[in-house]
Amino acid sequence: MTQTPHRPAEHTTRPRGRLVGQSVPRKEDLALLTGTARFIDDIKLPGMVYAKILRSEVAHARIRSVEVAAARKMPGVLDVLCGADLVGKVKPWGDMMQDLLVGDHTPFAVDKVLYEGQELAAVAAQTKYQALDALEAIELDLEELPAYVDPEEAIKPDAALIQEGITYEFGDGNIFDRYKLRVGDIEAAEAEAAAVVRQRFSTNRQAGAALDPHGCVASFDSFTRELTVYSSTQSIYMVRDVLADVLQIPRNKVRVIVPEVGAGFGSKAQIFPYEVIASIFSMRLGRPVHLVLGRKEIFQSGTARNSQIRYAELMCDRDGHITGYRDYTVHNCGAMSVWGNQVLHIGTNVGMLPYAIPNIRVDGNIVHTNTAPGGALRGFGIPQFIWVKEQLVDMAAAELGLDPLEMRARNVIRPESFPFRTPMGQVIDSTTVYDCLHKSAAAIGWTETKANPVPYEGLGLAVSMKYTSCRHPSFDTDLSAVRLRLETDGTVTIYSSDVTHGQAHATMLAQIVADGLGVGFEKITLARPDSVTSPFGLGTYASRGAAVLGTACRLATERLREKVLAIAAHVLEANADDLDIGDDRVFVKGLPDSGLYLEILASLAAYRTHQLPPGFEPTMEAIATYDTPTEREGPDGTGNLSVTYSAAAHAARVRVDPGTGLIRVVDYAMAHDTGVVINPLVVEGQHQGGFLMGLGMVLGEDYVYDDEGHLTNASFKDYLAPTSTDVPELTKIYELPAPSLTIPGGQKGAGESGTGPVPAAVGNAVFDATGVRFTSLPITPQQMLLALREKDRRGLATFRYPDDMPGFTGPREPQDWPEPLLPDDMGFDWDNFEDEL
Amino acid sequence: MKAFTYLTPGSAEEAVGLLGQHGPQAQVIAGGQSLLLAMKTRTARPSALVSLAGVDDLAGVRLAASGELVVGATTTYAALSRAPLTGWHTEIAAVAGNLADRPVRTMGTIGGALCDAGPRYDMLTLVTGTGARLEVLGPSGVRTLSPGEFFAPGGGTTLAADEILAAIRFPAADAFTRVVFAKFRQRTFDAALASVLCAARPGNGGVQITVGAVRPVPVVATAADPEAVAAEVLDAAGGPPLVQYQRELVRTLTAQTLSTVNGS
Repeated sequence: MTQTPHRPAEHTTRPRGRLVGQSVPRKEDLALLTGTARFIDDIKLPGMVYAKILRSEVAHARIRSVEVAAARKMPGVLDVLCGADLVGKVKPWGDMMQDLLVGDHTPFAVDKVLYEGQELAAVAAQTKYQALDALEAIELDLEELPAYVDPEEAIKPDAALIQEGITYEFGDGNIFDRYKLRVGDIEAAEAEAAAVVRQRFSTNRQAGAALDPHGCVASFDSFTRELTVYSSTQSIYMVRDVLADVLQIPRNKVRVIVPEVGAGFGSKAQIFPYEVIASIFSMRLGRPVHLVLGRKEIFQSGTARNSQIRYAELMCDRDGHITGYRDYTVHNCGAMSVWGNQVLHIGTNVGMLPYAIPNIRVDGNIVHTNTAPGGALRGFGIPQFIWVKEQLVDMAAAELGLDPLEMRARNVIRPESFPFRTPMGQVIDSTTVYDCLHKSAAAIGWTETKANPVPYEGLGLAVSMKYTSCRHPSFDTDLSAVRLRLETDGTVTIYSSDVTHGQAHATMLAQIVADGLGVGFEKITLARPDSVTSPFGLGTYASRGAAVLGTACRLATERLREKVLAIAAHVLEANADDLDIGDDRVFVKGLPDSGLYLEILASLAAYRTHQLPPGFEPTMEAIATYDTPTEREGPDGTGNLSVTYSAAAHAARVRVDPGTGLIRVVDYAMAHDTGVVINPLVVEGQHQGGFLMGLGMVLGEDYVYDDEGHLTNASFKDYLAPTSTDVPELTKIYELPAPSLTIPGGQKGAGESGTGPVPAAVGNAVFDATGVRFTSLPITPQQMLLALREKDRRGLATFRYPDDMPGFTGPREPQDWPEPLLPDDMGFDWDNFEDEL
Repeated sequence: MKAFTYLTPGSAEEAVGLLGQHGPQAQVIAGGQSLLLAMKTRTARPSALVSLAGVDDLAGVRLAASGELVVGATTTYAALSRAPLTGWHTEIAAVAGNLADRPVRTMGTIGGALCDAGPRYDMLTLVTGTGARLEVLGPSGVRTLSPGEFFAPGGGTTLAADEILAAIRFPAADAFTRVVFAKFRQRTFDAALASVLCAARPGNGGVQITVGAVRPVPVVATAADPEAVAAEVLDAAGGPPLVQYQRELVRTLTAQTLSTVNGS
């Protein structure tokens, strides 16, 4: 035995196994910061050819013909496809996520163009330039139709039908789905209310704007009949299962792999036509096909945040307690949408938090327009709803003469014990939202500034809770899985299908494994998601990584630890209970400097199986799948859809330039209760990024359509996403611990809490600074200045934009509001459904 | 992008010759910050690009014997922003150093902006407001144009297909006692939504106000107060919201620049 080497004091005194909770530098960053990470456009396979898509330049048209003969004769062209080629040969999709009987998505438009940018034809050629040249040789004969850009126009009784090819079960005309929420007795709440505030609000379309473009490389092996697809996606199994279904080939013959994915924000959480098109080309040609979209294509045909119009009413008693909420929502899903209707369901359900409102009635129409598909985007409907509800709270506070901070303090959930079930059905297993509210308000100088206001400066508050994971109403599952393998050299490989694309899974999971297995952090590697090797999981969305995937990882780690200890106990002839694990070895408790290295134990399990305990199943692998104990949405819209909830209380200080209308967020405080944070560095980054997306939503980003349905700002030059200079110093970020009681490690989601309250907090601050209440998004300098001038011209103390502007054509006052368009043929008494049930 | 022939002349005369040889489908490329974006989306499809990168005497900043500041057309914004200038010329460097973003300033050239003639570019307002003269080289030699002659009234330039912009001659440092430029853009890296340049002449020469970004070419105002300038450039009232907004911006920026000029 050699002499024990000298070890520094801090090493021996360091508490074992406590990487969870530390700001461990991210494993991901070296490749990203040195430019060596390989994204989808970097994938090059032998014999690879290039495909490009011809997209419609009009928003709504009947297709008379798509003539591709000339394109086939162009130099370098290998294959050409259009909609008519595939009718009856591929299955439409969209049914699985939307809970439809048949899908409503096809690779190309066949009879009708439904939105600008929709796929009409595609070319595969030797080079991408030859493919683009050939697209120009395709002749289109389109009969243009009037386009519906405004969802309220699209639902008028005389509106022409946009989606003609499918009958939606709950639809009617351009309404393709409906949403109903019933809690308590809203009429009684209204009758008894001391104050009711009413306002029509609208929201904008926002792009995911991931810098890494959408795209894929499809490679079909003509001999094995296996289709391999590299795709920049958030979910390999959603792509695999839908793709195999569309192509009607076995799922074990489709392999989906991700390269480095440069963000998604929800915009890559589904299959897209380009994945189908590239696959078909590859199957026809027997060669790898590269198909990566340009930015304009992504703006036009990727998914964008659904816009909403909400005719909203908030009811309170004289003490400011919220007693009721009612609205009629028109929810714009664009021309087609895989996830868009879910956004209204979940965003409204969870968006009611952090208040336990006892009486609620929401009627929503989910509408098709001739615009880009709507879909998932950071916050999933919650930022839209919080924009409405948190401004109503300020309006109600003003009517009751209450301070907005005090009004919120009286309403946020603060139960005597957890878990606490709200009237909406959410099970709140922990929260410090009350403390978060006061923390953020104090950090921004709420009380002092309210006492000494500064002209054209204003403060605003907003609170929200974001779901961690989600059991989608149409999609009854909420699981993730991890398989671990202790390799024979003592390293550990983590297999997961949940794609890391900014969430630092390689770091976060390694922290969990290092703690549980006593393996050095640097010895742990996360394998790339690959449907051939990764266990089945849903993917990375809904802020589910730390809590759901993390729990699967924790369970797998425990199982692997048991196996390691079982072998060690056998070899050491000790009781497993007397053993501990750490510093890459198993040792007898109290003797940490001795023991058996994990690589020796793993080698026994693989190469010396006679030394294993009797009956021990060789090799050192463990797998665990975790499905959350969440509920399905009830027929009244209530239910606990998420495993736990992360609160966010934000406070904004804005400054408005009365000469230019420019709005600067000069100070911003965020307090969250993200539970047990695995890596504070990563979580802080998520909050900063979440804030930035909220900032873009409130102060600049929007899909600007003209009346014909042309997207006029489909480039980063014209699409006003915020840049670094627009962001204030984000030093006031606080975590007020509230460990989840449901998740074994106490984790909650972090990825989207930073986004939800931002538009409302800024909107409330802008009102405080100027007396102008913005009811539409985004708030641009132009609108700000014109509103200020009009307000001054009319000598008003407060003013609504755009409601009080001379050119506003929508309903200005509640008596002008439309009645919710309710189906008269559904044969269901929604107000007394409990009796019927 | 479509395929093109890339030509690298060594002199300005050679560049002019190549333009003549390759016809109107050939285009000059300097920094390429506008042209390459247009080519990428195939909205520009030149058959040949005549690069000025190898023409050394088109770049650089010097003082002429007359005191005029001669800025070579292919001088980058970055170089211009660092040039050791004096008097009102420092405002030229300041404008060049506060537009677009760093990569664009590193590659983009003053001549490229003027020939592309984007109405929202600051350089158009700068040369118009200071009465700079533009040296244009063609097959028959050099002609010197005023901004009013160089920019076409409806937008764009009057350059012939075989002409290149060689240099910009700004008036001498004593031509103005003070020049102040101000603009508004929503994001730091965006082009201006409105820009105003106030140039004060010595003695009783008065202040000249020029408004850019709101019309196809900059407008030299005859009015002298913010309200009147806004009304002159964009009518007194009405118009779509963008025009109403730009009117407010012109008023604000004019007041701001006038106050700075008069305060000195």
